[in-house]
Amino acid sequence: MDVFGSFALLLALACAVYAFVGGIAAIITRHPLLVKSTRQAGMATCGLIFLATFSLVYLFFTDNYSIAYVVSHSNRDLSTFYKVAALWSGMEGSLLFWSFLLAVYVLSVLIAYRNKNGELMPYVGVVMAGVQIFFLTLNNFVESPFKALAVPGADGVLSYFTRADGNGLNPLLQYPEMVIHPPNLYSGYTGFTIPFAFALGALLARYPGEKWIHLTRKWTMIAWMFQSLGIMLGAHWAYAVLGWGGYWGWDPVENASLLPWLTGTAFLHSVMMQEKRGMMKVWNVWLVFCTFLLCIMGTFLTRSGVVSSVHAFAQSNIGPWFVAFMGITLLVCFGAYLKNRDYLASENHLDSVVSRESSFLFNNLLFLVACIAVLSGTLFPVFSEWFTGNRISVGAPYFNRVNIPVGLLILFLTGVGPLLAWRKTSTESLKRNFGWPLLIGVVVGAVAFVLGFREFFSVVCLILCMFVASTILLEFYRGAKVIRARSGASYPACAIDLTMRNTRRYGGYVIHIGMVFVFIGLSGAAFNRDVQKSMHMGDAMQIGPYTLVLQGVDTKPERNYTAQRMLVEVLRDNKPMMMLFPEKRNFLTNKENGTMVAIYSTLKEDLYVVFAGIDPDAQLPVIHAFLNPLVKWIWFGGVTVVFGTLIALLPNRRSVLVLAPAQQPSAVHPLPHAVTSSVALREGHD
Amino acid sequence: MTKGRSWIAVAALLGFAALPLLLAPAGAEQFSARAKLIGGKVKCMCGSCSMTAAGCSHPGGEFSGPCPTAKGVLQEVDQHIAKGETDDQIMQALVQEFGATMYAEPPKSGFSLVAWVMPTAYLVLGALLVIFVISRWVKKNPSEPAASPAAAGTIPPELLERARKLAERETED
Repeated sequence: MDVFGSFALLLALACAVYAFVGGIAAIITRHPLLVKSTRQAGMATCGLIFLATFSLVYLFFTDNYSIAYVVSHSNRDLSTFYKVAALWSGMEGSLLFWSFLLAVYVLSVLIAYRNKNGELMPYVGVVMAGVQIFFLTLNNFVESPFKALAVPGADGVLSYFTRADGNGLNPLLQYPEMVIHPPNLYSGYTGFTIPFAFALGALLARYPGEKWIHLTRKWTMIAWMFQSLGIMLGAHWAYAVLGWGGYWGWDPVENASLLPWLTGTAFLHSVMMQEKRGMMKVWNVWLVFCTFLLCIMGTFLTRSGVVSSVHAFAQSNIGPWFVAFMGITLLVCFGAYLKNRDYLASENHLDSVVSRESSFLFNNLLFLVACIAVLSGTLFPVFSEWFTGNRISVGAPYFNRVNIPVGLLILFLTGVGPLLAWRKTSTESLKRNFGWPLLIGVVVGAVAFVLGFREFFSVVCLILCMFVASTILLEFYRGAKVIRARSGASYPACAIDLTMRNTRRYGGYVIHIGMVFVFIGLSGAAFNRDVQKSMHMGDAMQIGPYTLVLQGVDTKPERNYTAQRMLVEVLRDNKPMMMLFPEKRNFLTNKENGTMVAIYSTLKEDLYVVFAGIDPDAQLPVIHAFLNPLVKWIWFGGVTVVFGTLIALLPNRRSVLVLAPAQQPSAVHPLPHAVTSSVALREGHD
Repeated sequence: MTKGRSWIAVAALLGFAALPLLLAPAGAEQFSARAKLIGGKVKCMCGSCSMTAAGCSHPGGEFSGPCPTAKGVLQEVDQHIAKGETDDQIMQALVQEFGATMYAEPPKSGFSLVAWVMPTAYLVLGALLVIFVISRWVKKNPSEPAASPAAAGTIPPELLERARKLAERETED
């Protein structure tokens, strides 16, 4: 099966090269058969990558310990569930997994547009094939996952052998979320290839108008949604497994996932300027280019060893390949831009400074500043070493200090932006849209201050969260009110109806509400508390309103590890509440340790209990307990963001024209519904 | 001094020496609050985690508390505190011992100042640029002629349709 996988990869590379070269020839000659054959070569590439990936999965499932990658990342006692995760747990497998996910996207695009956009698709196909060639080259010649286990003999000849068992999977990865976090994150990284291919293809083809934006909107949103979900799952994994009480440590690998998310978010906002007003065409093209390059850079940072990270892959010589690919991509992008920049000329007219357009410009500025700040902070150790000879590290305190103000400004614009009208916003409209939300925000801030919340950024964050939530809810209320006046249905039903009529707009609002939840959760971090204590049996420790009593420590042998488990009774106001069972796991094969945190989570706070192990000094079991306020809001916000994106991806329900006076409820005089344009029902929304 | 008295004296001395240990409850705070504060500004130098010395939980380690390296740093900080040194002096001593990689955040001096100045500079310059661009776009907009009822009647239908479509597009989202 390993030979089969290797051949599949090699053939996939050959097909990708044909799709690339043949595609260029097809663009030049415009020969229909050539166009068709290159498209089919693109599809064949994807099919062969699928075969190679399934071959590797098969090798894991059949415990084939003659393959070096399988030996390094699996063992016989590893459950089937984690044998799937072993696929992407190492450098070689994760790069193959990159190719696999990219192939899923490429195949979907090739099938979806097989009979459409005949002028554009050959260019898009060439760009996608170019990206595939790069990753397939790595899969075949640099980091092949199908290398057989071998040692050089005295005569220099390799002798192949098979191990009885493997080394096992990294314990930190043996957690359910680790089976879904990387696929989501990688789906985000790879997904941005599609808007990139369309943007570059459209620029090269001088494809007319905003068509490429319309074509790629859904692909961009899908990639963005996966990226968001991947980041959120990664944060939750760090929270639940690493046992340090936090969810985001500004580790270079975490930062690498955030960078394309920031530019991707900026792009999702600024495309509206191009769609509605024909503005910012150059900016949008470059935002897509940058987002794709940041995806590649993220992959490069994780794998090259340029920056040190706790969860980076092992260092390898893969870095120069990525640098070369990024360099070539940048050159191609610059070349295409310089050649066809006239085609990107925009109208660029504004009626007023206070308008939706301005808010988008500031929104993009803030996302870009956040992105550059995170990128420069991540790379600062490298720069400082170049310039001064000293590697000056940049840790979480720096990133927090720099990004919190920017994040709050973005939050502010989240509330302001959508309520400003296109072209020009009148003072009356400003008063009508922002009066109440501003008042609600200020009152909540004052109450928080009176209640003793004095952490500046947290209070500001809370005020802004209330402001933004109020503006959005008010917007839903106004829209629902208009529908209710005509239909007589209940407010929730009208709000759903409203959302389904303009899924993009109201799905966007749901995403904004999700981000408000995330910010509420983040604001709680300023009030985190923790206590660590060595405990005798029956000892108690206090954290906030909770009393933790150590009732025992037992050992729980499992198939792949042995868990030392604490039996901790939780009391509140001297009344027993529950038992928590934090674990310390020792994995048998690789002798590594893992943590399983016990969390009692409420909307108000998380009681987070870690079995820290046996204190080497006191030889007593140690409990490390944290009280983390509002954390649950972050996960809730993440789910809301995904839900909002799914809404935004739905097609609009065709609205109906009700030929009745506004005051007359339709329940009394139902009138025939006719399918018309949505203009008639849009009043009061903008 | 007789042999018996000597033993009693030694026992008493040992007893006094051990008194703080006996009085301290199990799990009492090992490090001062100030040591933890300073420990939050320096990295754990164990090489296996990228956390601060005060926040080290050493994922994957046998003990998920501060690892021995982090503990050593915190103890060292406490020793400096006992000598009456200021926070800056303690930081300098640590950096001399471990190098500039010790900083959890870049110092606000020398080349490291760039790290602090850059984000603010991006924000300020970017904001100025955006304001400049917006004001240019506003100026570029030709002033529209005042509409009169007479003129309204002369608008060609195709122009009116185009304007209606534009308005529809612009108010959709």
